[in-house]
Formats: sequence, C-alpha cells, structure tokens
Amino acid sequence: MLVAIARRLLSTLITLFGVAVVIFVILRLLPGNAITASLGVSAGLLSHAQITQLDHFYGIGESPVSQFTSWLGATLTGNLGVSLSSQKPVAGMIAQALPVTLELGIMALAIGVLLGVFFGVAGALRPGHIGDLAGQALALVGLAVPSFVLGTALVTFMSSTFHYFPSSESYAGLFANTWLNLQQIFFPACVLGVGIAAAIMRTTRAAVLEINTQNFVRTARGKGVSERAVVWRHLLLNALVPIVTMSGIQLGYLLGGTVIIEEIFVLPGLGRMLVTAINNRDFPVVQSVTMLFAAGFVVINMLTDVFSAVIDPRSKDR
Amino acid sequence: MKRLWKGPSRPIVGISCSIAAAIAAGAIASAASASTGAARAAKSKSSPVFVVANTSSVQKLDPDVVTNFLDFQALGLIYDTLVQFNNKLQVTPDLATSWKFSDHNRVLTFQLRKGVKFDDGTTFTSADVVASLQRAENPKVADASASFLASMKRVVPVGQYAVKLELSRPDTSVLDGLTSINFAMLSKKAIAAGTLSKKPDGTGPYKFVSWSPNNSFTVAANPAYWGHKPSIQKIEIKTIASEQSIASALEAHTVQLGLLTEPQVADHLPKSFKVQKVLDLSYRALMLQDKTGPLANLDNRLALECAISRQQVVASAVLGQGQAVGPVPLGPYKSSPISAVCPTQNLAKARSYLKLAGDPGGFSFTAMTSTDLDPTSAAQATTVQADLARVGIHMTIQNLAGNSYIQDWLKGDFQAAFAENGADPDPYVMYGRYFGAGANLAVPAGYSSPALQKLLLKSDQATTPAALKAANAAVSRYLTANAVWDWLFDSYDYAVFPSTLHGFQLPPNRQLQSLKFATIS
Repeated sequence: MLVAIARRLLSTLITLFGVAVVIFVILRLLPGNAITASLGVSAGLLSHAQITQLDHFYGIGESPVSQFTSWLGATLTGNLGVSLSSQKPVAGMIAQALPVTLELGIMALAIGVLLGVFFGVAGALRPGHIGDLAGQALALVGLAVPSFVLGTALVTFMSSTFHYFPSSESYAGLFANTWLNLQQIFFPACVLGVGIAAAIMRTTRAAVLEINTQNFVRTARGKGVSERAVVWRHLLLNALVPIVTMSGIQLGYLLGGTVIIEEIFVLPGLGRMLVTAINNRDFPVVQSVTMLFAAGFVVINMLTDVFSAVIDPRSKDR
Repeated sequence: MKRLWKGPSRPIVGISCSIAAAIAAGAIASAASASTGAARAAKSKSSPVFVVANTSSVQKLDPDVVTNFLDFQALGLIYDTLVQFNNKLQVTPDLATSWKFSDHNRVLTFQLRKGVKFDDGTTFTSADVVASLQRAENPKVADASASFLASMKRVVPVGQYAVKLELSRPDTSVLDGLTSINFAMLSKKAIAAGTLSKKPDGTGPYKFVSWSPNNSFTVAANPAYWGHKPSIQKIEIKTIASEQSIASALEAHTVQLGLLTEPQVADHLPKSFKVQKVLDLSYRALMLQDKTGPLANLDNRLALECAISRQQVVASAVLGQGQAVGPVPLGPYKSSPISAVCPTQNLAKARSYLKLAGDPGGFSFTAMTSTDLDPTSAAQATTVQADLARVGIHMTIQNLAGNSYIQDWLKGDFQAAFAENGADPDPYVMYGRYFGAGANLAVPAGYSSPALQKLLLKSDQATTPAALKAANAAVSRYLTANAVWDWLFDSYDYAVFPSTLHGFQLPPNRQLQSLKFATIS
C-alpha cells in the first residue's frame, strides 16, 4: 500500500510540474501584455520612457526560461510574488481567499453527497416508483441547469421576495460571525450542491441497483437480517467505492464551479480573485491560483484513490 | 414484495423531507430577513457604513497611475485637484481658488487655498503642488495622463500659496487636463516616503480606511476637511461582479447606492428606488483607417456616414437608452449631430456619394469589435452591417478578444473598429491626442491633416470663451464633414438608490464627490 501511495505521489509531482509549464506557456501565448491589460487602449498615450519603465517593472522582455525558473524557484520556497495590480503579496491574498472557497466547497460537497446518496438509494430500492422518478427528474435538472442560472434565479427570488441577500453584506469569517457566515455560504453551497447531487445520485442509484441483485444480498435477506442492516451494511457499504470516486471527481470540478458562483454571490474567494487577475493579466496571481486549483484537483484525486483502496477490501489483494 | 427500507427510507418521505428542507430554507431566509431586515432597514437610515456597489473593483491606490474608472471615483473621495468640473462640465476651483493665463497663454498662475491639511496632518502649500506635478511628469511613475502636461516646461512656487506653470507653447487645455485625479494634489512628505501606493494621503472629504483588492474599498469622513463636512461618515465601495446581484443587494438593503450600466437592470427595480441617469463620459464611434483602401476615399466615407441609422444603432445596442451624438458628446462645446453631413440615415445620398467615389455598386471592408471590452459592440456592428448592405457596402465583422483588439488597435492594424473612447468637455483634450501634431494616438486614429491640426491648435490657444466656442465648433464640423470617423452614440449610466438618500447627484463625469453633501433620512 505504501509503495502504491509513494508511486502515486511521484506521479502527482510530475503532473504538477506539467501543469506549471502549461500554465506558464498559455499565459505567455495570450495576446497583449501586462501593460495593455492594465491600461487598455490608454497604453497608447504612454511615452517611450514610460513604456521602458513599465517593461522593466513587469519583467517584459526577460527570457521566458529565466522567468519560468525564477517563478518556479520562488514558488517552491513559498514566495508567490507580488500582485502586479494591487502590489500586495500573492500569498497573503490567497490566505484571505482560500478559506472562503474551501468552506464553500466543503459545504457544497456535503449537501451534494447527502442529497445524492439519499435520493440514489431511495430510488434504487423502489425503481420506477414516483420517488425514483422524482429523484431522476431532480438529477436531470441538476445536470441540465447551469449553476449560474440557478444562482442568479435564487438570488433574485430571495432578494425580491424576502429582501434577503446575506452574501451582499461584508463577508463574515466562520469564527468571526458564525450565523452570518453560514447564511452567506449556505445558499451558494446549495446551488453548487445540486449539480453534485445529480451526478452522485445517478452513480449511487446504479451501484445500489446492481448490488441489490447480488447473491450475498439475497443470502443476507434469506438469513433474516433486518432491512435496515441490509441497506446500511451490505448495499451502501459496497456502493461506497463508486460514490467516493464520483465525489472526488465532483470536488475537483467544484473548484472550477466556485468561480462563477463566487461572482454571483459576492464571495471573496479564490475563483473571483482568479477572474479579476486574468482580466488584469496579473501573472503572479493567475499562476499561483491556477497552480493551487490544479494541485487541489490532483491531491483530491490521489486522496480519493487512497480512500477507495482503504474502504475496498479487494484492493489489499491487488 | 416486502418493503425494503422502512420508515425514513421511503421515497415519498424523502421527497417530503426535501420539500420540508426547502421550506425550512425559505423559512430561514424569511426569518433571517425578518430579524435582520428590520435591523438592516434601521441601519440603512443611520448606518455607519454607506455601501456603494459597482461591478468593477478598485485596482490601484496611487492616483498618478490609475486608469480604471472606479479607481478615479474612489480616489476622488480622498484627493482634491487644483481645479474640477462642475455639473455643467465647466472648470471650477478646487484647491486653486483662482487662476490666470499670461504671457500669451504661456504662463498659468494658480492662487492656492489656505488652511488645507493632508490626512497626515501636514499643511497644503505650493511645495506640494510642485512635487505633485513633477511626480506626474516623471516617466518612472508612468502617469497615463502625463501627455496632458506635455507643454509644461516647469512648475515653480510663488510664495507659499501660489504656483506658476511655465508652458512651452500657448496651451489653455492644460487647465482641463488638471481636473483629472491623475493630477491629484499629493503630500510632498508622502511622495518622499513612497507610501502612496499603499496608503492614500489626500485633502478630500474622506480619508482612506482600508482596501481589500477585488472586494472593497473603505473611506471615513475627514474631520479636517476644508469644505462642506460630510454627513455620511463611512463609505464602502463594494465589488459585486454582476449588475443583477447589485440590484438584488439594493433590494435586500445591504447596498445603498448601485452604479449600473445595464438599462434593463435599472428599469426592473421597484419604484421605491430613485434612478438617476447621465450620459456616459465615453462615446461609441466607428473608427476608420482613412489612409488606404476604399476608406481613403472621402466620398466612400461620406456614403458610410449617410447609410448608417444611428438612432437604430442606439435602439439595438442599448435598447434606446442613449443619444446619437457628434464628435463632442457633452459639455459646453457639445457638437450637434445635426451638423453632420447626414444627421439621419439618407440612403439616396449614400448612393450618390458612392457614385461620386466611382464605386456605385458599393465596396467591402472589415470592422473589428470586441465584446470583451464593449458588450454592446456586437449589436452595434450587426445593425451597421445591415444598414450598409442596403447601399451595397459589405462590412465583415471580426470579433476579437479584448487584448487582441487592443493590440491591433494600438498598431492601427484594422480597417474599421467599433470603439468606446473616453470623452472630455474640451475638444482639444479629446482629439489632440489623435489628430494633433505629434499625437500619441495618431496610428490608431488613422487620419491626419494639417488643416485639422491647425484647427485643434487654434482651439488649444483660444483665450476668450467666444473664440474657444468658435474654434471648437470648427473642429467638430471638420471631423464630420470629412467623415474622419463615424460618431455613433453615447449611452446612459445609472445611479440607483433608495428614496431615503437625499442630496446625491451623479455628475456627468460620474465622480462621487457629491456624496459629501448627501444625507439619509
């Protein structure tokens, strides 16, 4: 097991290096530079002397290899640089935004898993029943309606009907004002959670349907094991591997989903920071946040694999 | 078949639970809004924090280097300039109480206000003016408006409360340029300390409190302010990226002033909100590269001007929420669109110009747009394309990503470009940079003529109001008579606020300084 984890860790590091190269190259291939991104067409008003100064400030004209190695070296030592736009340390900006995105992601995943597993199991136990159909319809809606549509509709409904839009108040930290914080995170988490629930519901339903026909389940029932125990110990436990895998994948995608939801719900998270940084060609911020998202995705996948191996006794034989 | 999962596992119960959960969530919303709503309503009346929402965010704190419009608005609360625009876009005193041109407009002397203090406690004197203007000129600072001070040879103090700007040529428009926050009056001490990009230090009605990049910018009333003491004690400028979310925040009473650009969002708010609309300080034009190809022919350009229905462009691009304008869209020298060769669409005249050009069947060209930079540009382009097709002119639309557009625009690498350009009440400030002698933006402008340069120079050197008006009218006339570009329209911007806010007026330059006069009932 440890060897497998070490091997996985190594491949994770190689993947992250590849991601770093791709991010660096793509950002440099985009037309324009930090000056035009920052000043727009007003860049044309700058004198030659001003442009020279700004080239020096933004590091324009340095060789790409030297830019990459100095960025990677600094990143590995924990120095993420300074935002070209705000002149603030990127590490500090990330430290402020990361807890918001993490909290949102965790709450969305919790909502998604709870709803998905519940409706998936309930539907699989009585396939074709009205509850199953309702669950599947909900899943279809969850998959088909983009989160930004659902988010905008929810915000508009809450504000026009209840005059309630807690996220538009200044963001409250979880420990600074727990009640307000939970109100601010709950609704965007619900919007993201619905999309996750849909995927998990379908996976759970398919897995439970399949396991429900297995001999060991029939045997358990024949031996007089209570239905509650059959569902919890035999069905759900055996369906856990695909559910965990799907949850891991969804959590990875969730990182991307937070970008638009944080914009709609006015949450000062990493997604919003990334969008602004891309618009401003704020390379240090874009590189660091994208690396963080990529690292998050890769680490989540790795943890999912490890967890799946732990909960699946068959993996000990592999 | 035996029921498999008793009790709570029944799907119907699951659905009920979900519905109950949804109702509970609604109830939470209702209860929370009821409990905090009253508090919020009360708060909005005597709130220590007045929240202004905008889709943009404050990006920089150093007034000399800002280019983002919200940065100008935010820093305008903290900093004063020597002169400022009033609501009629006329230049009026700010930290300079009066000014005088002399030596054939080659010297400009300002008398300065006394008893003004910076936030750091130091007294405002001529030394601060000299340090501020010298800093703006310094290439290391990269002030985007530095070109407006190009004619300034040197700035010298005349005692403690007067300064003299010595100009290399007669230049009256320098006064107009000095209204910009890019020429804010900075403390000499703060300049020396190099702290301006982290801690603004001005003489305005508000003092800097905090800044969270991409999120909020907060200021508090300045008790030492020399002018009208603000009633609103604390202002937070909050970034809400979607205008629909700003409308929602207004309805939830968590925002007291929304700055909007989308008419449909402003229109759909309840009637209990006041909506002020002002023409934007930028205008939309179809910029033409007039040096090569079919657009080098004046008659072809005039055919283009006559074939376009600008009223239709306004209707399709901004749902009628704008005005067709001439080259100078607002201010005391506003040009009338009536002075254009074809003030309204005239297809017969367009065809006759095409015949004169020797292209009776029309011609083809490509126009670039960028919906990243101006979301309305796609609608503008398709409307213009349809209009032109009626006289046989085929316009191909090329929509580019924002930065690609900017790159091509700066290189003049286009035949025509749908552009949103900044406007100014002074025609020389607006067009000197495009068509004046040695203009910085001569390449994207795509047109140059000694006659136009001469007219612009005359405008810059005019000393009396009558001469200024005549010179500026001549500039406007020349631009439209030669169809240098096609000026399309100017759209509205909106300030939306509850009816409990009094005394606030969004001026044409959209600065927020009038918040110092505002009260909440």
